[in-house]
Amino acid sequence: MMKTWISLPLIFLLIFLPFFLSQYWLHVMIISLFYVMMASSWNLIAGYTGQISFAHAAFAGVGAYVSGMLAVNIGIPPWLGIFVGTFVASLLGVGLGYLCIRMGGIYLSLTTLGFSEILRIIITNEDRWTRGTMGLQIPGFFTEYSKMSYYFLFLIVSAVFLFILYRLIHSEMGLSFRAVLNDELAAASSGIDTIRVRILAFTISSAMAGMAGGLYGHYLMLITPDIPSLGQMFLVLAMAVIGGMGSFIGPILGAFVLEVLSEYIRIYGEYHVLLFGLVALGVARFAPEGMVGVIKKRWKVKESP
Amino acid sequence: MGRIVGSVLLAVILSMTSWALAQDTIKIGVVGPRTGPAAATGKAFEEGIAIALDHINAKGGVLGKKLEVVFEDTGGVPEKAASAFEKLATRDKVPIVVGESHSSSALAEIEVANRYKVPFIICEAWHDDITKKNYRWVFRAGPVNSGVVDFYIAPFVKENGFKKVAIVRENSDWGAGIAERTEYNMKNFGLPFVTLKVERESKDFYTELTKLKGENPDIILAYIYGTGLHFFVAQANEVGLSPKSLILDGAGPPSLWDSFWKNVGKAGDLELFISSMHEKVHLTPTSRKFWEDYKKKFGKDPSDYKTRSIYNVVLIAADAINRAKSTNNEAIVEALEKTNLEVTTGIVKFGLKQGSYEYHQWMPPMLVVQWQDQKQVVVFPKEAATGELKRGR
Repeated sequence: MMKTWISLPLIFLLIFLPFFLSQYWLHVMIISLFYVMMASSWNLIAGYTGQISFAHAAFAGVGAYVSGMLAVNIGIPPWLGIFVGTFVASLLGVGLGYLCIRMGGIYLSLTTLGFSEILRIIITNEDRWTRGTMGLQIPGFFTEYSKMSYYFLFLIVSAVFLFILYRLIHSEMGLSFRAVLNDELAAASSGIDTIRVRILAFTISSAMAGMAGGLYGHYLMLITPDIPSLGQMFLVLAMAVIGGMGSFIGPILGAFVLEVLSEYIRIYGEYHVLLFGLVALGVARFAPEGMVGVIKKRWKVKESP
Repeated sequence: MGRIVGSVLLAVILSMTSWALAQDTIKIGVVGPRTGPAAATGKAFEEGIAIALDHINAKGGVLGKKLEVVFEDTGGVPEKAASAFEKLATRDKVPIVVGESHSSSALAEIEVANRYKVPFIICEAWHDDITKKNYRWVFRAGPVNSGVVDFYIAPFVKENGFKKVAIVRENSDWGAGIAERTEYNMKNFGLPFVTLKVERESKDFYTELTKLKGENPDIILAYIYGTGLHFFVAQANEVGLSPKSLILDGAGPPSLWDSFWKNVGKAGDLELFISSMHEKVHLTPTSRKFWEDYKKKFGKDPSDYKTRSIYNVVLIAADAINRAKSTNNEAIVEALEKTNLEVTTGIVKFGLKQGSYEYHQWMPPMLVVQWQDQKQVVVFPKEAATGELKRGR
């Protein structure tokens, strides 16, 4: 009951807000929604099954480049292209997951880190196809450029993502996700195929990253190796950690707060990623449940007399 | 206590906003790299802008208002450049944007300029396509690859009788474009050449240099922009390739940055570079005024010619707004098309014939300069030469 009271006005706000925003803030909102998709889907593997993957931005890059290159070279419309991109990302997700999830822990992180760098280097150097650091100009979704249309496209896809994630987390599968997170051995001994559960989570999350990347690319209409870069990855990580890993609202909150904040501290250039990294580190150490955890604690203190 | 702090804060904020409102200004946008491998260009731009603003505001500003700039960093990265331009267009709502010194960034920015219909004067992005796309909103008052190669680099190579040419180009739009044009010219001359592609941010060129040593060229045209050029020059000397094979820096500014001599040491002697500025070459009175104003403000001689390029485009933008008598985009473009303004490198008139890169294009005369005992000697074209080309042994 409480939840509907909060979410109804929020939905109204998100639908009517764009009519009052300038082009610039609309842009910031669109980018925020991209990060909502990224951070929330990363949270599915990191927050709910405890596997820290560094390949999330790389999967977004796969989605963006597959769809973008299909559009530029063969003229496949972006609407179709992003599904191909999503499919390729999920295939790579299964492959990478199958290869390294058995190892678990730090090895997964290292392997995904390697994968992400390899992908970035390939995109940078194969500039005959990808145009490398020069950036590939790709078509957008709409014949007439309109930020409003992009906003609603991003809003709808984010809502669908969040709905899927919510249902997943609150299903039986979500229960096994958390069981694996809490105690892998105990989960395995109570009949959960831990490897299967992890690969499944990894694949879903990679596919989502692929689609988010495709949308992002066709919105910017220019893709560069910056999309699958580690800088982008750390930003997503910081959003999830600062917002609150392992909670549903956390990454959403983190994405909006950090994206809006980074608009203000852009003048410091690359340092904002460093700053977010440091804050994320502090949060992980002192408030592991992130902003959501802090808010919840306050709430409880106030409620109890 | 909290209330007092709060009210003081409020008062401060209010006074600041009213002060900001009282200042009647016109803001124009600038894009350029303030971070990344060509951050020195951002510095050069800042200096040039400062002098241009002093000059314009001393003469009463623009439309009776003070002229200011909003300088957005591109980091030399196309997607950042596009978003920087977008911010200037949508957040700051500037009537015109000037600047840029990377072709890949400029090619991304002109799409945004075209989308938001914001006039854009580019000063130092050389790729032909920037003006060849014939966008109504895009102008360039600066060098263009085909012009630089056809009128300066290729004739320089031919007239000095070089027998074998090596082209080393970075993987950027500028690098690809200028190398292609050079190859075209060399083929026409019937001169043998070899082309190598290098990574834009590379610091290690030993592999390429070893290959080059086998080719034994007598001139190396280095199309590398950024500190990478410093490594290239130093390492070419280290492997014993230069100065026997002379190196020509096809962009110029990296050979003029303060860090050049620190990074290359003795290897910098006899290195050649393209420039549009020399202490002794003043084509217009504005050029002299720029030189004096710069010395007065910064207490040294200007070195990077891009300081002067940005100075020129700020002047052109201010002049266009004044003649348009408004900040309306259509009016500004019409005024720009009628530009007839003396800047430091000549009299600016934009090409109006559509169909080629010459549309909305004006190119300043360039020079080929050689470092001789850490002194800049103009060696080409002959009319402007201040000395003879020295060959290495």
